[in-house]
Amino acid sequence: MEGFIIALFVCLVLALISKYLSIPAIPFYILAGVVLGKAGLGFVQSDEISHFFSEMGLLFLLFFMGLELKVERMIADPNKLLVSGLIGLVVDMGIGFTAAYLLGFTLMEAFIIGTAFYITSTAIVITSLIENRKLMIKEADTIIWLEVFEDIVLIIIIALLSSGNKDLLLFLVKTVLALAIMYAVAHYGKEFLVSILERDDETPILFTFAAVLTTASVAIFVGIPESMMVIALGVALATTDPDAFEQHARPFKDVFLVMFFVFFGVTIDFASGTNLNTIAILCILAVISKFISGMLIGIAIHGSALSGLEIWANTISRGEFSIALAVLYGSAVVGTVIAALVIFTTLVGAFTAKYSTWMRRGIITHSRRKALMHRPHTSR
Amino acid sequence: MTLRSLNLPGVGTKYEIETDKGDTVAVFFTKTGVIQMYTLQKGCQTSSAAEMTPVEARRLGNILTGAIIEADQESVEIAFSALADLRITIHTFYIPDKIIGKTIEDLQVRAKTGATIIAICRHDRNIINPAPTFVFEAGDAVLVIGETTQIKTFESELMVE
Repeated sequence: MEGFIIALFVCLVLALISKYLSIPAIPFYILAGVVLGKAGLGFVQSDEISHFFSEMGLLFLLFFMGLELKVERMIADPNKLLVSGLIGLVVDMGIGFTAAYLLGFTLMEAFIIGTAFYITSTAIVITSLIENRKLMIKEADTIIWLEVFEDIVLIIIIALLSSGNKDLLLFLVKTVLALAIMYAVAHYGKEFLVSILERDDETPILFTFAAVLTTASVAIFVGIPESMMVIALGVALATTDPDAFEQHARPFKDVFLVMFFVFFGVTIDFASGTNLNTIAILCILAVISKFISGMLIGIAIHGSALSGLEIWANTISRGEFSIALAVLYGSAVVGTVIAALVIFTTLVGAFTAKYSTWMRRGIITHSRRKALMHRPHTSR
Repeated sequence: MTLRSLNLPGVGTKYEIETDKGDTVAVFFTKTGVIQMYTLQKGCQTSSAAEMTPVEARRLGNILTGAIIEADQESVEIAFSALADLRITIHTFYIPDKIIGKTIEDLQVRAKTGATIIAICRHDRNIINPAPTFVFEAGDAVLVIGETTQIKTFESELMVE
């Protein structure tokens, strides 16, 4: 318990520092966990309490993901969404998976690493777009849609992974039944739900908390993956009043997710046999692969390599979803690799996102100067 | 002029106006609560941005609608162009000491000035549509509605020490 309080306090200080420097806090939380935990000083051990909090963090992260996913939004510009999304998926997942497999991971491990390698952090990317005042640039829309596409892919992957090695038919029947119940409740009970959410006492927040926890525990009880069901709950409730649910679930998500990151760091153990070279190669490839996919998307959508540079600069950071994958499906070694991947890419990503405008300006003036000097018919 | 509004997943709502002269102004109401305004001059590549709190954004909005803003007391003029250009002014005043302890009825606000007190702000609490028997206290701020001339009369009759 003391360890838990120490971790909480350290996080508070780190949150203040990272907000002051306006860089993402996620890498600091993980590093704090690593330093305090198994791999470092050994102050903090994960126990039942921390496990519970981490679990909550993951559930609320997934619930939020479902809430933000509104189906009608995706139909707005399907072509752009598909082209840019597929380029990202094929290039990044391809490079990540192949590299991990060649470096000696098993097929399954390589798939998890490849997915974590591909999925960028929606939270970091969007926040940095806002903080760096880039919402107006023409690449901003593409980047935002790219994030939406990745979220959909991730949901599909979670669904696939959680259906693995079980009685497929029974699993399918159970899942469809659970989804049907959720949608029926959201559809027919909409007025009742909205009336609860509109109250200004403790009921809306209590209801939101209970809805997520009940769904998760019922899912465990009937033997379907709770991660999947909590996302589905978010999607179903998004048809009622998503903004209200977001508002009431946010405090839980904010606190529990920080605990989730810290205790992910705490459980990391360098003794689990990870090769430093492997980690370094994957980290550097993670930045390079986003450069390739960013360039291809920039040229395909905006017809310009400079746009590609901008897309790359803003989509390097991997974050919460990569860690979620590591926790849900990864082994200890995979966890270490993904932790390093997240820390390295978020730090590089924070830097590139901040200075991409300078890079672009530098390239433009440089090429202009070159063009001036090499002008073939300078007449004096 | 074209106005477009767009919901951006995870970000918030975007409003974009392209003026007849080809400049672009975009306003983003983000989920974090801050409001960002970008302007892009015709023919320019990079936009410039300003980040505002909701209060600052409202102030800017008042200026853009053509209202006059003073330091503490502010006034907003609303024009309904559909109703024969009906113009109404809403003005806030901090009450002077001479009317402390009096009621709205005592002051004969409407008979004397034509303006109407529609709200009173007392210690950050708002009282909307106060009764004629409402008694003023020190530190109250009043919100008055009327024509510009009526507001001027109200100010000179009642708000001057």
